[in-house]
Amino acid sequence: MGVQLSVFLENKPGKLEAITKILFRAGINIRGISMASEGEFGVLKVLVNDPGKAHEVLKQQHFTVSERNVVVAIVDDRPGELHDLLLTLSSHKINIEDCYGIVLEEGDKAAIVLDIEAYPQAEKVLIEKGTRLLSDRELYSL
Amino acid sequence: MYWEKDVETMDRCALAVLQLGRLNQSLSRARRSAFYGKRFAADAGTSADSSMELSGLEQLTRLPFTTKDDLRNAFPYGFLTVDLQEVIRLHSSSGTTGNPTVVFHTAGDIDQWGNLIARCMYTTGVRKQDVFQNMMGYGLFTGGLGFHYGAEKLGVMTIPIGPGNSKRQIWFLKHLKATVIHILPSYALRLYSFFEELGLDPKKDLHLRIAFIGAEPHSEEIRRKIEDLYGIKVYNSYGLSEMCGPGVAFECECQAGLHVWEDHFYPEIVDPHTGKVLPEGERGELVLTTLTREAMPLIRYRTRDLTRFLPGKCPCGRTHRRIDRITGRSDDMLIVNGVNIFPIQIEKTLMAIPEIGHNYLIEIHKENFMDKLSVKVEINEEVFHGTLAELEKLQGKAVAALRAELGVTPNVKLVEPSSLPVSEGKAQRVYDYRGSEEGGR
Repeated sequence: MGVQLSVFLENKPGKLEAITKILFRAGINIRGISMASEGEFGVLKVLVNDPGKAHEVLKQQHFTVSERNVVVAIVDDRPGELHDLLLTLSSHKINIEDCYGIVLEEGDKAAIVLDIEAYPQAEKVLIEKGTRLLSDRELYSL
Repeated sequence: MYWEKDVETMDRCALAVLQLGRLNQSLSRARRSAFYGKRFAADAGTSADSSMELSGLEQLTRLPFTTKDDLRNAFPYGFLTVDLQEVIRLHSSSGTTGNPTVVFHTAGDIDQWGNLIARCMYTTGVRKQDVFQNMMGYGLFTGGLGFHYGAEKLGVMTIPIGPGNSKRQIWFLKHLKATVIHILPSYALRLYSFFEELGLDPKKDLHLRIAFIGAEPHSEEIRRKIEDLYGIKVYNSYGLSEMCGPGVAFECECQAGLHVWEDHFYPEIVDPHTGKVLPEGERGELVLTTLTREAMPLIRYRTRDLTRFLPGKCPCGRTHRRIDRITGRSDDMLIVNGVNIFPIQIEKTLMAIPEIGHNYLIEIHKENFMDKLSVKVEINEEVFHGTLAELEKLQGKAVAALRAELGVTPNVKLVEPSSLPVSEGKAQRVYDYRGSEEGGR
């Protein structure tokens, strides 16, 4: 389990860039990024090596930031793996708020970042199934 | 609890006698000005009786209204009743087009005005031992100097800091242990964000107990919000530079409407379209006649402010009638596709939604020959959980609440905190682009 930052953004040119600039200037490395937009506004989800510091620097610049717990599962990079993972969650009636994947090494491994309200339960069923989950330390040093 | 008990609690019949006497004095003084001299001489109904003496207050309704345009057209000295050498002060309203409205004061006017403000402050519990930080603008605007003189008359230490420079404001509040402030409601909300930035809590780190707010129409929700944020009592102040400035009407400790100081001003509520006096309790435009002003008496002045008389007696014991909070101006009503909307309705609705922050902006555009109302709101960071779904839900909630209040479906845009323009003067919340656009965008 790890912490991902959610940032409220207006959907305008230069908004995303303002965030990457703040993070870069603070020496923060981005591990994963995803954006969900409604049209006029959206929420940027960003996984970084130091969420505490990133939260602080973004807040200083008046961004609205919230921390959310995410579960990061490692799957093999081959057809059916993600499907299998999702099936495990849905069979336990666990709802996913948001999710995206990062290929770690082509043809080998991928990390799936899952934003799940009931994350303790999700962790439990995935561990029972034998899925490898990243600890926060592993996650921040991906 | 009374600054001038005899006057404030005067029996209504005695008050009417006092008012009639003063009204007749005011009328005869007004005739010395070029404007009223000409008007009353030309008016057949009143010129027959050269002394123009009224035998009852109700006869005032026979006289014509005075408007802001009259003041503008008579610029600069058309309303002046005394020699310039008797005048010691000029104030002016913020006019952006045409002549400004200028208002003159004799030494007697300034003294009387200060006394009225002292009465207002005393009414809410301010005493000599208080420390008063006056955050209203000094200068042509009446808000700063009016309270300054009133506070000094009451004997309160006054810090004439004026508006702006928020960090310095907070420094003075904290280190001089100010207990009373006078502030624009929009600025009170904006100032709070600086406390957060400095890591201070006004409830714990200050000695503040009372705030006076005025100069901008604001909702009850905004008043309660300021009371909650600062942990203080907030009182509404009403006035206009044409009468003197603040000090025309003020809330007492009951916070249930504003007492119009009827020993100095005679109030009427009229239908803004027909000009007919409305029955007590009905909402309309406030019309004021000065009873004691020397340099520039005004007869039946159209304030453009919309309110109503509150029926019944106030538990505080004062007999002067109360008006409801100002709900708008007869000239700032917005007509959106034929529906009448007052900006205050939008404010009231938004402030009742906890997920929405303090600041908002109203925009009206023409789109395909139809009016399109947009409301930009800041979200409250403290309740943001980081999902898009909650934002969509919040947007839907705001649209539904506004539609229920206004009868028009607005477009609600959520914007980042601190992204809306803020001013340290009167907040401009409405931007109407309809005049500057051709048919559609």
